[in-house]
Amino acid sequence: MNRSDPIYNTIALVILTIIFVLFWNFTTGTSDVEGRIASNEVVMDSLSIIYEHFYRMIPIFFTVVLFSLAITFFLEEWIPQQSWQYRIIERIIAILASIPSLVYGILGAYLLVIQSDRISYLTLIVTVVLLVVPVIIQSTQMAIQGVDIPVREAAYALGANRWRVIADHVLPNAFPVILGGIFIAISRVLAIAALIIVVYEWKITQLQSMISFGISKSVVILLSSALISSIFSSFLHKNSDYRTN
Amino acid sequence: METNNFSIETENLSLWYGDFQALIDVSVNIPEGKITGLIGPSGCGKTTLLRCFNRVNERYGNVTTKGQIKILGKNIYDEDVSLLELRKTVGMVFQRPNPLPISVYDNILFGLRIHSPFRSLTRTQSDEIVEDALTSVFLWEDLKDKLKTRATSLQLEQQQKLCIARLLPLKPTIILMDEPCSALDAKGTLAVEELMGVLSGTYTFLIVTHNMAQAKRISDECIYMFLGELIEHRETQALFENPEHPKTADYVQMRYG
Repeated sequence: MNRSDPIYNTIALVILTIIFVLFWNFTTGTSDVEGRIASNEVVMDSLSIIYEHFYRMIPIFFTVVLFSLAITFFLEEWIPQQSWQYRIIERIIAILASIPSLVYGILGAYLLVIQSDRISYLTLIVTVVLLVVPVIIQSTQMAIQGVDIPVREAAYALGANRWRVIADHVLPNAFPVILGGIFIAISRVLAIAALIIVVYEWKITQLQSMISFGISKSVVILLSSALISSIFSSFLHKNSDYRTN
Repeated sequence: METNNFSIETENLSLWYGDFQALIDVSVNIPEGKITGLIGPSGCGKTTLLRCFNRVNERYGNVTTKGQIKILGKNIYDEDVSLLELRKTVGMVFQRPNPLPISVYDNILFGLRIHSPFRSLTRTQSDEIVEDALTSVFLWEDLKDKLKTRATSLQLEQQQKLCIARLLPLKPTIILMDEPCSALDAKGTLAVEELMGVLSGTYTFLIVTHNMAQAKRISDECIYMFLGELIEHRETQALFENPEHPKTADYVQMRYG
């Protein structure tokens, strides 16, 4: 991989986007969102709420991504594929991933936030885990299964152990696809956050303010996240290794 | 060291994939420093037998093995056998060329890096090793300016030769080949066969092939297998010209298969 690879461009793009978003938040955002939610105060800026919690979500997101990668590698490389444990876990994950993300969002918003009247770390963690883990596991599974069996066999036949094969071959080859899955998960979280803000405002304020603030901004977020993730995936696809041979 | 001139000896080797018995009581002695061909119809256990010798089979799970395989006089199913050492001694070349998707240079050093302590190879040492390995498979002239290119972008023939070259720095004694020429054209096949001829004194080759002509051309001894059983094991010429067993005769004289 050299410096002119598209992957560096995409990483730079991500960093720029984050900086832009943070800057925007500093200039336009308002503080003490929780207090205002608790006191049912009107005029909630959806963007400011999302990005208020964006800071909190970054470490959670990292941990959750690592966690789901670990699960996937355990599932794919350690558990025998014919065993009933593997089939059960795979089925559960498939079901979790196929549930519309709105369901998780509403679960997070209503059961956890409105019931307890505040946005806590626990809420964020539970929602993000439910939203992100199945999606990342599924895409990572695809990526790992996409690594050519001959490549693994070659490495094993040369005497490499399992860690070595994973670190040297499976991970680097599967990485672009794994990264794509992570971006999809990010966009899923952002999109559902935007939707939830709309629903949330509706609950607290009138429909009027929802139309004026919520929908327009959440649509912008939705579209932009879809756009960004499609750009990413097109770059990553170009960059992936599977097309040689 | 006094050896009994057999690189591989198996005794009553049986192998099951789940309930299916793929090998039935195979006892065979593979001579040292020669090319032994394994022939037989598809699904007769040639590849399975080959894969037993460096225990790549075990990765599939639900494989049961009974009997003994002795490589250089040591049973490889003993508790104290290290898979790493075994796979260092017994190299394997696969049906489709499978260079690792890294540079040519790293491909050749990959095996050695696994088996030597971290960062113990100096730059000059590794350069020499790469040059030696590529020279012995006649690739050095073609590839000396392309050491940093990705190995998967080479021609198929070069890839397959590279797969052989990759084994050489580990100094294996046995090289297993699972239809090494089936993905190559006539010219590539010829090149690989020539290479095997040159290397055969130093290494013991065991080659699975579906190509009768190839088995005839390159192997010193031939093994005919049928439905998991070893039917006949003789010198190639004898096996092809006057086979003892009627099943062998049917196969080698192309009455079927």
